[in-house]
Amino acid sequence: MNFLSLFARNLIEGPYTDPFPFKPAPTAKRFRGKIAFDPVTCEACRQCERVCPAGAIRFTRTKDGLEFDCWHDSCVFCGNCEFHCPTGAIHQTVDWHLAHGQADKFSAVEHGLIPFKVCPSCGGKALDSAPATAGITPALSAEEAGELRALCPKCRAKFIKARRTRT
Amino acid sequence: MSMQLGILIAVFLFPGGLFALALGLILKGLDRRVAARLQGRIGPPLRQPFYDLIKLAFKRTMVPTFANQPVFLGAPLVGVVSMLLAVALVPLSGVYDPNPILGNLIVLLYILMIPAVVLMIAGSSSASPYGAIGFSREMTLMLAYEAPIVLVVLAVAMRVGMAQGEVMTFSLTEIIAYQRANGIFLLDPVMWPALAAFALFFPANLGIIPFDIPEAETEVLEGPLLEYTGPALGLFKVMSALKAVVVLSLGIALFAPLNLGGVWGFLGWLLELTLLMEFGVTAVRLSMGRMRIDQAFAFFLKWPLLLATASVVTVALAT
Amino acid sequence: MTMISKLKSMAVKSPWIYRINAGSCNGCDVEMATTALIPRYDVERLGCQYCGSPRHADIVLISGPLTRGVVDAALKVFAEIPDPKVTVAVGVCPISGGIFRESYAILAPIDQYFPVDVNVPGCPPRPQAIIEGIAQAVAIWRDRL
Repeated sequence: MNFLSLFARNLIEGPYTDPFPFKPAPTAKRFRGKIAFDPVTCEACRQCERVCPAGAIRFTRTKDGLEFDCWHDSCVFCGNCEFHCPTGAIHQTVDWHLAHGQADKFSAVEHGLIPFKVCPSCGGKALDSAPATAGITPALSAEEAGELRALCPKCRAKFIKARRTRT
Repeated sequence: MSMQLGILIAVFLFPGGLFALALGLILKGLDRRVAARLQGRIGPPLRQPFYDLIKLAFKRTMVPTFANQPVFLGAPLVGVVSMLLAVALVPLSGVYDPNPILGNLIVLLYILMIPAVVLMIAGSSSASPYGAIGFSREMTLMLAYEAPIVLVVLAVAMRVGMAQGEVMTFSLTEIIAYQRANGIFLLDPVMWPALAAFALFFPANLGIIPFDIPEAETEVLEGPLLEYTGPALGLFKVMSALKAVVVLSLGIALFAPLNLGGVWGFLGWLLELTLLMEFGVTAVRLSMGRMRIDQAFAFFLKWPLLLATASVVTVALAT
Repeated sequence: MTMISKLKSMAVKSPWIYRINAGSCNGCDVEMATTALIPRYDVERLGCQYCGSPRHADIVLISGPLTRGVVDAALKVFAEIPDPKVTVAVGVCPISGGIFRESYAILAPIDQYFPVDVNVPGCPPRPQAIIEGIAQAVAIWRDRL
């Protein structure tokens, strides 16, 4: 007769149903949703492309720079890219509103562009990617970081070497 | 002429036809709604069965390649027509008395079996193995519940008939008149075995959960209805909605007709019908699991048959 | 004319759903089942109903990367669904192949075989996302009716 008390409880307490299609649905804070990419903090190490199990992430070198594409229709939301990203440039949002019509199938893409820049030190053309700052002691100050960022990879190495000898 | 007009109105407008259809669909909607509430869900709106019917009318009808087309498409029509007649045969206490020319309780009993036969024909003509399974299950179940209901009706007929100095009477109008004069059978201990047997019969006839074995959706994918699409499926939905009204109001007429008349009698009848739907159908179907066909067969040959036989004996001894 | 459009707008309130498992891992199927069976997501309040027979269906949810073994059966079942119907690809496998993409054993993406109308990516998509996809499918179905 357990079910009778269950019926009574359900009748008294009312339905548990979420009001979802008519009101926004509750989403967990750590929900693993749509991928978001930030080209400013990206180091262009392409680790995410390497670890992506579904091959959803692709970097292509074009005449404008390095293009990042993550196809949401292939992404399995595993979070490997976020885990392996050294700078947190790629992360998962809590956005799960991904249903789309067939016409939008190939435009359901997170796109980012890391443009080319001219190195102020040597004048060469290089990617405007964030420098790898892990393991540099003492930590860079804000001006130093800005200076380092503007350089090309070769000049960055020189910069860091010079800084190490200085300290 | 006026008699024929009266019969036509009874069959197509009230209490049969449009009225019974609307009532049956609303009862189905209520059933789904209350079931959802008992499960802690919101549930579909009350008008959902109407939406379903309209939707089905817009769909294309497909006939399986190996099906017998005339039988396949004719079966639901026969079912709906039989149920239209059946609704006109059941009197509403103090509101509607069927014309005796339409038939009596025996005719009603025969017509009540037509939906089951129609489902059997539909299942066997659809050339689908699931339909065939549904056919065999429907037949087994029908054989099982047929005997108890006949005995129950016999007990009621004897109770009323003997009081009037005959052996038995099969006129529902007389049965209702007797109950209005001498108190309803629901409160008459002599009739309780018959009542219990009827309570076990009607879930099987309506095909709700402990006995929905022929149309079990999770086992045989709705069995005989598997191959039906669009309007033909809609006709089956109409048939089952009408059948719910017929069987429930037959139960009311046999055991608990109200001693009221006019508008109050009608409203009271609606209330009884709704209560019976909620407690007799919704609560039952939610609180039980489905029986296997052999279990159901054994069950019906044991308890309802025993109860129905006991009811005939007690009625014979008591009067 | 207005009568018919009024009836149509009533008819779209009863989308019946049929699932085709085209070699899915059952993850998406479980999420689909939760939309109907768990009181929290109760898809029945929108008039939806999961039906056992393809002949009763209006909206088809296809999950799985369409393995070679299942393709003939899936196409056969799909043909049994009466028009007008709307197809929804649930999960990344039918849409692009997901992690199985370029495997010899699968034929994804399924839009080479089925006329897909709505895509619901996710591995698996959460039940609300499936409900959202069904809502988009109903909007498409309204035009086809």
